[in-house]
Amino acid sequence: MSQNLTELVLDRAHNAVVWLNEHGVVTYWNPSAVRLFGISKDEALGRPVAELIIPERFRAAHVAGLKRFLTDGTGPVLDRRIELAALRRDGSEFPVEMTISALPRDSGWLFSAFVQDLSDRVETARERDQLVQELRSALHGSQRRFEAIVGSLSDPVTIRDRDHRIVYANHAALVHLGFDSIDELRKTSPDKIMSDYRVLGEDGRVISMEDVPSVRILGGEPAEPLLIRTVNLKTGAERWNLLKAAPLFGSDDEVEATIMVIDDVTEQKRAERHATFLARASEVLASSLDYQRTLRNVAALAVPDLVDWCAVDLFDDEGDRIPVAVAHVDPARVALAQELRTYTPARTSPDRGLGTVLRTGEPVLYQDIPDEMLRQGAVDDRHLELLRSVGMRSVVMVPMKLADRTLGAMTLVSAESGRVIDQSDVNLVEQIAARAAVAIENSRLYSERSRIAHVLQKSLVPEQLPEIVGYELAGAYFPAVAGTEAGGDFYDVWEADGGWMIAIGDVTGKGVEAAALTAMVRHSLRATSEFVSSPAELLARLDGALKKRESLSVCTALCLRLEGGRITVAAGGHPLPLSITPDGVGVVGEHGPLLGGLDNVRWRETTVELGSDSTLILYTDGVTDAIGEDGARYGTQRLKETLSTLPDGSAADMVERLVDVLAEYQVGANADDVAVLALRRTASRQPSPASAAPRRDAVGTSARAGVDG
Amino acid sequence: MVRPTRFEVKQGGEGATPVLTVSGELDMHTTEVLSKQLEESLSGEIATLTLDLRELEFMDSTGLRLLIELNDRSRNEAWRLRLLRPANETASLILRVTGTDTALPFEDGAQQ
Repeated sequence: MSQNLTELVLDRAHNAVVWLNEHGVVTYWNPSAVRLFGISKDEALGRPVAELIIPERFRAAHVAGLKRFLTDGTGPVLDRRIELAALRRDGSEFPVEMTISALPRDSGWLFSAFVQDLSDRVETARERDQLVQELRSALHGSQRRFEAIVGSLSDPVTIRDRDHRIVYANHAALVHLGFDSIDELRKTSPDKIMSDYRVLGEDGRVISMEDVPSVRILGGEPAEPLLIRTVNLKTGAERWNLLKAAPLFGSDDEVEATIMVIDDVTEQKRAERHATFLARASEVLASSLDYQRTLRNVAALAVPDLVDWCAVDLFDDEGDRIPVAVAHVDPARVALAQELRTYTPARTSPDRGLGTVLRTGEPVLYQDIPDEMLRQGAVDDRHLELLRSVGMRSVVMVPMKLADRTLGAMTLVSAESGRVIDQSDVNLVEQIAARAAVAIENSRLYSERSRIAHVLQKSLVPEQLPEIVGYELAGAYFPAVAGTEAGGDFYDVWEADGGWMIAIGDVTGKGVEAAALTAMVRHSLRATSEFVSSPAELLARLDGALKKRESLSVCTALCLRLEGGRITVAAGGHPLPLSITPDGVGVVGEHGPLLGGLDNVRWRETTVELGSDSTLILYTDGVTDAIGEDGARYGTQRLKETLSTLPDGSAADMVERLVDVLAEYQVGANADDVAVLALRRTASRQPSPASAAPRRDAVGTSARAGVDG
Repeated sequence: MVRPTRFEVKQGGEGATPVLTVSGELDMHTTEVLSKQLEESLSGEIATLTLDLRELEFMDSTGLRLLIELNDRSRNEAWRLRLLRPANETASLILRVTGTDTALPFEDGAQQ
């Protein structure tokens, strides 16, 4: 389920997206990857990525890096932009930029790579190198020629002299830095310029002047291109810039100045980060049916990359809000939010904040939060103080809605990062909120179903098996895993008329109806046994009761009566019990028609003596119908073989062993209910039939099981 | 996790005497398919419906239930149900264990 949802998103991604498992084998390959590498999805899936797109000389490093991550969890290339060469299908190499993330999955790590073709950009970089060359000569040539070349460039270009002063900025650079003229810029100190911005590196680290490539070059250091994220503290606008610088040498061969080109990569960086966030959030939303936990995880994903705060609230039927999550990278700030919440009434007001979201089903965006707004909203001084200390810049509240109703809202707050939340953020959060709504609804439906199923399940088998003197009794019951649907298998053990009754059976059909019918069958057998002790007669009575029902009600059942070592068996369409004795494995009793569906039928019973250390195994067809790896069903023959090789042990050991063998044989989860009951006659204490079950504690256990069931 | 079930229904016969030939496994999922096909075959005037199970390899309780329902319906609607026995040992065993091999109108012998 999670895979499908995520793929739905990634199939539309503009960037190539490739997923790998822990072995470096491709598990997902989106249409953009098909276009970029010229390799179809069918060709890619299941193949090691190294063989597909990694040039031979890098393959060893790829394998080593993967191994290292799996061994000690370090991944120097993870979660940041890296530039490398990649192979196309035709063997040609081309430059790419990629961001790789490791996502934990139940089955191990999943590596997700966003890949972007850099061919064009490298082309531009080459042109830029050429440009720098020209600039060098231009600087030594005429001023007019220099202006002609650089002045018309759309990319901002600045030149910094040996004293770190900006001596030149083209028109694009002036606009970029917010100055009207070069003189104005020259008069302003670099620190002053920096103080208008919040500048962070790609990893979230604060960038200072010393990190800027042109400054590094002047300091005699090498300078790789630097990707920075700036927030203009006045306007709240966020930009992503790639800074590239080159030295300009004077006639003395000393660095005379540096020239820096500022590449605006805002659109592509934001698209990439949004896509990553969406993919991760979709993954998280589909990962669990515990929606409260899921929503907390989604909130945690949003900070601090997207915003500074993220809160999730649900609405109850009265429209009151139920807080589910608040996330901030700093735990102390989360405590602040929790204190703030004590000021917000649970009851929403239809014309304010979350109330508006609930009423209209539309997002509410406050791009700027003036202090005036806080003063109006605060109920007292402490409240105002708390509101101010959050330092909200922008707030958006987005509904988590289904077609017909709004289940809750996600609130995102931009604060200390200083950036303004814009429409593209709102669009992104709307997509996530829509998915969250579906996840919540699924989870609620599931919990209700599983609660009903759980209650019904408890009526299918006794919570505790009674103790029967001279016997050991053990049972196992596994409902079909196909859903939460309570199934139709049952067993029961109860005391009746001086002996013990054991029943096991299978009601056809699945789900709540089957479970309800099963409970009726179980109790009908118990009630009838008060005055009928013959197993065959019990089945006949049950058959009659089932045929009186309005809709066709069919079941199989095996009914046993124990009197000391004597066991009487009648079968109604149910697999016969298997006996394990020193002589081997045998079948006990004879087949009889199933109950509730056939006319002119009768049941016969067989009485056998069960010797010491002999065991009867009762089971439902979930055991023999289990499907193995080769597609073959487990079958009676295999079951008999397994039973004949069971090591000697208690009834509980035998059941446990049988369940293990079955689980090993079976591929995947059981599609049908499985019930097994083992009845072992113990060697010691062989009370005469007349004195069976004289122990009062045994009766007590039985009675309790009866009341509960 | 879910293995594709071997299952096929072929519609044959004509008019009032349709024949459905079932091969493979009748389980929770495939029984539904057969049930729909039966509805189609039974939509017109019927004299005899033949369900050929000779190629049936497995049947679970939902399959059995369908046979019982079909038998009840044939009596209520006064048409004849002919069932042809499966040759497969697993499928025959299920019919034998549940008594349906004698209680339902299976024809003796494998001849049609």
